[in-house]
Order: sequence, then structure tokens, then C-alpha cells
Amino acid sequence: MTKKRFLGCAGIASICVATLASASTAGELNILTWEGYADPSVIEPFEAATGCKVSATYVGSNDDFAPKLAAGGGVFDIVTPSIDTTFSLIEAGFVQEIDISRISAWGDLYKQFTTADGIQKDGKIYGVPYAWGAIPFMYRKDKFDTPPTSIAALWDPALKGRVSLWDDKSALYVAARLNGDMNIYSLSDEQIAAAQVKLIEQRPNIRKYWSTAGELVDLFKSDEVWISNTWGGYQSALLADEGVEVVEFIPEEGAEGWMDSNMIVTGTPNEECAYQFLNMAVSAEGQGGVFRVNGYSSTNPVAAKEFMTPEEFSALHQDDPDYLNSLLLWENLADRLPVYTNAWNSVKSQ
Amino acid sequence: MSAPLSVRLKRAAVLSPPLLWTFVFMFIPYAILFVYSFWVQKYPTFQPAFQFGNYLQIATDPQYLRVLLRTLKIALFVSLGSALIAYPYAYFLVFKVRRPGFRLALYMAVVAPLWVSYLLRAYTWKIILGTTGILNSFLMSIGVLSEPSSVFLYNQTAMIITLIYVFIPFMVMPIYAVLEKIPKSLIEASSDLGVGRFRTFLMVTLPLSIPGIVAGFTMTFTLTFGDFIAPILVGGPDGLMIANVIASQFGAALNWPLGSALALVMLMIVLTIITISDRFERLGQGKFA
Repeated sequence: MTKKRFLGCAGIASICVATLASASTAGELNILTWEGYADPSVIEPFEAATGCKVSATYVGSNDDFAPKLAAGGGVFDIVTPSIDTTFSLIEAGFVQEIDISRISAWGDLYKQFTTADGIQKDGKIYGVPYAWGAIPFMYRKDKFDTPPTSIAALWDPALKGRVSLWDDKSALYVAARLNGDMNIYSLSDEQIAAAQVKLIEQRPNIRKYWSTAGELVDLFKSDEVWISNTWGGYQSALLADEGVEVVEFIPEEGAEGWMDSNMIVTGTPNEECAYQFLNMAVSAEGQGGVFRVNGYSSTNPVAAKEFMTPEEFSALHQDDPDYLNSLLLWENLADRLPVYTNAWNSVKSQ
Repeated sequence: MSAPLSVRLKRAAVLSPPLLWTFVFMFIPYAILFVYSFWVQKYPTFQPAFQFGNYLQIATDPQYLRVLLRTLKIALFVSLGSALIAYPYAYFLVFKVRRPGFRLALYMAVVAPLWVSYLLRAYTWKIILGTTGILNSFLMSIGVLSEPSSVFLYNQTAMIITLIYVFIPFMVMPIYAVLEKIPKSLIEASSDLGVGRFRTFLMVTLPLSIPGIVAGFTMTFTLTFGDFIAPILVGGPDGLMIANVIASQFGAALNWPLGSALALVMLMIVLTIITISDRFERLGQGKFA
């Protein structure tokens, strides 16, 4: 126990007794992750095999990780942020170095991911790639005679009040690409201002900016919205279950890509269990779980062959490195993050 | 002469829990916010500092004024709307309903929804106002609309309707309380003196009930002012309110210093409103009671 923690505990004695007691229980993992990443079909066999008990807390966006870790308290052992957020967690010291010699499947993972800038610093690795996908667009098949192929469709005056966009700084990425600015993660102030103008122009078309996966599904299902960006594979599958036919497409202007990694929170008392969890996550069991539950692509193509049919393997672009390279993989915005966030807030303040 | 020790101890025992509560859960957090508001954002998080940059940013970037004015406007409409609905209802309960049991039932009908989760009540309005919602189905079945309209949901009007529905108990309760306390003899006296019903209402009942209206107005206004759920659930692309901006500074932007400064600006506005309404309430009492 560190001195700082002890002093904090002296202040609020009763709460801390509980915290210390739970921290000392070996083999309990608290993971801060996305819905669908801690499915019972994966967690229960893991708990049975290792004796490590897993409790999951869910985030609604990547912006939830840093504030929850900054609030302190040593609550979480593992976090699963996306590649735009990983590096700032490393820089803030919230996560610790990973000994890749303890990750048996490390060599099987895509090189594009294991060597990504976002998960390393000074030659040390801080994250184990877990799942990936694109941010394509999707539309209601019954509402379009000619399938849309460009982001410009979301600005089409004929779609007044029928468009949605993710309530996120990524709206700026979309508008910037429409402007022809492909450097979406390093936009200048002028480029951001131009993207803001485009988004304000788009306003009459916007029915609602969606903030959760479920909300977008509801918007499509209740006939409010016909076209939007989406978390590739996830919401379209939920809509298919509801009998709503939607089509995903990568526009001419390209699509963002994302990749989520498991990271170990600095100073976790449950390191042994954490490594067991990280290994399970990139094994065929863990990767098969995220594929079945979320429909996301696998970071481990070797394991993916075990649970995907050849058709699924190619449908999820597991055999197509060009596809992966064509995606604009999310990048950390570093000190430009507040500029993007305020620009997006400013659009919504109009 | 001071009270005996045992009495003083008892007094301390009674008073100290609420005082301690206020100190630990109100004063200290606000003090922390105050300190944070002078800090500075520095990637990847934020650092201690003493500077006024956050307040300067709020004053110079027009987005904050726009959102503050929008929030004030919506809070004003919600309070006005609640008062216009709640006053006749409370008046009806107190002066027109004769059977106490029936009156209680009608009163509880307004208060009981408070026991249901706010989220659930706000969510209900999505189902009512949506394109395939109950209102559209109804209007189409009686022939007013030929195809579903999208004007009911995802705009500021939907937010105002939802917030009125959610917060109206806070308007009904204080108005009901003051109306109930008005002695019936005053109204009888007015009518004995030959004053008509409407003038009696304007000259006697309404002035005496002003403290209740002010109390209700203050509560609905401040509750709306701090709301950030309605914009997410039923607001459209122009629904952003000040509490959403603060939430995004603490979350998405990881700019707790700016978020703290915004929170304090908001607190100042709310305190100003409470002070003004307090004056109004006292004015009402001094003049009419």
C-alpha cells in the first residue's frame, strides 16, 4: 500500500476498509470496456478455467476512459480503449507496460496493429490489439432507388430530416473528407472551420445526432432516419434481427477505421489474472466471442480461421490487407483534442 | 446566560449531521470546483495553475453565450408553461373539488409520477411524439394528417413539453399549498362587498398565491436549467444545453478546468435567480399578508 493511498484512506475510513478488503482478494478483475466485450459466453468459461472473477463496467464512448481513470481509486484492472485514445492513456501514466513475452499469440496478430504508434511509447508496448472494424455508412435499402456512394448523400436536400450522424468529434472527420481534407486527424484551424460550416449547412437534414448504438438502431427502426454513419457490422446486425433491411457502404471519400486494445491499468494488484485475461482475449475463444456477439473483425487471423467459415473470413476482410490499409485508422489527437471537441460543441450550439 | 451543557450537547447532536453533510458534500466539492476553474488544460490531462483563461474563453467564444441563452429560454418556457397548467389545476383542486378524498386522489395523480424514474418518463415522450408514435397514429386515424409528421419530436418544443411534464409536480405542490392556506372568509368578504368573481380572483386570490407561484417558478426553472437528459432523449440537433456542454468538458474534452469554470458560471446564474425570486416572495408576503 502506498503512502498516498493510506492517507486518503485515513480520511474516509469506512469506504476504504471495503476497498482495501476487495483489493486484497486475489483474482478479481474489474474491466472497463464496451458492451459486448464481456459477454457471459466468454467470461463464464474464463472464470471457470482460471478462478479469476470478472466484473465489467461499460463505457458509452472512448471519452469515458480517461475521466474514469483520472478520478483515481484503483478501481479498474483492464481497459479496452480504441486506437485514438490509447496513446493519451499511456502519456497520462494510466496504463502500464505489457510484457509481450507473456502474450503467447502476440506473433499471430496483424503486424499493422502490433506495430501501431498508438499502443507504444519509447519502444515499449502498452496494449494488446483485440478487435477492429470500419466506420462505414448505412442506409435503409427500401428508401434509396440508387445506392448512395458518397458522403455527399448526407447533404442531399432530398433527405431533409432523414439523416443522422454520431454525436462525436468524428462528425468533423466526415465533413472534412467531404471538403477534400483527407488529413482528418491533423486538421488545421481553417480546415476545422470549413468542416464546421459544412456541418451547419447540413443541419436541416439532421433528424438527431445519435449517441449510443441502441439509439441509432431505434432511429432506423422507427423510421426517423434513413442514412447515417455506423459502427460497422454491429448496428446493421441488430437492425437485421429487427427485420429492418440496411446496407453498409464505404463511401468514395473513404472510411475511418478503429481498433480496440486491452490495456493493463497502472499498479493493478491483479496482474496475474490480467495477463490470463489478455491471453484469453486474443485466443480463438476470446476472438470467437467478439465475432459472434459483435460481428467485429478479428485481430488474430490465425485464430479467426478456427471459428470463421471461409466466407465469413473474407466478408470480414481478414484476408485483405489492402482493405485494412485503406481505412483511415483513428489517431490520437493529443493537444488538438480540445480544439476538435469545442468545434463540435460549437456546431451543436448553433 | 448560556443554556446548560446537556441542552447544548443535544443541540449540537441535532445540528451537526446536517451541517457536516452540507460541509462535506456541498462546500468542499464547490471549493474544489472553484480551485479547478483556475487550472489549465495541458495534454494529456490538466495541471494546477492560477489563471483566468477558462473564464476568458467562456466570455469570448460565442458558443457558450449561445448555449446559455438557449438554456435560459427553454427554462423560461418550461416554467411559464408549467405555471399556466399548474395554476388552474391547483385552483380547481382547492376551490372546486368538494370531496376531500377525490381532491387527494387528483393531487396524488400529479405527485405520483415523481416516484417513477425520470428517464422512463422522458423516454415515454419519445414513444408519444415519434414519427411512428402514438400522436401521429391518432392524428392519422382521425384524418388530420394523411402521412406521419416528423415535427413533434427531436426539437426544442419536444424538450419543453417533456420537461414541463417531468417538472410540473414542483409547480403544482407549492401553488396548491398556498391556495389551500387562503382563508375562505377573505373570498366571502370580497363577494359580500359586491365584487365579482373575476375581480375577487385578481385582487385577492392571485396576489395571495404569488409566493407559491414564485416558489414553483424557481424550482422548475433551476431544475430545467441544469437538465441534460431531455436534450439527449428528445432534443434535436439544436438541443444542446449548458449542462451538456459541462458534461462534455468533464468527459470528451477532458478539460475539467473549463468544465469547472462553466459549472461555477451556471451556479452564479442559478443563485442570482434564487436571490431574485426570494426578494419577490418576501415582497409578496410583506405587501399582502
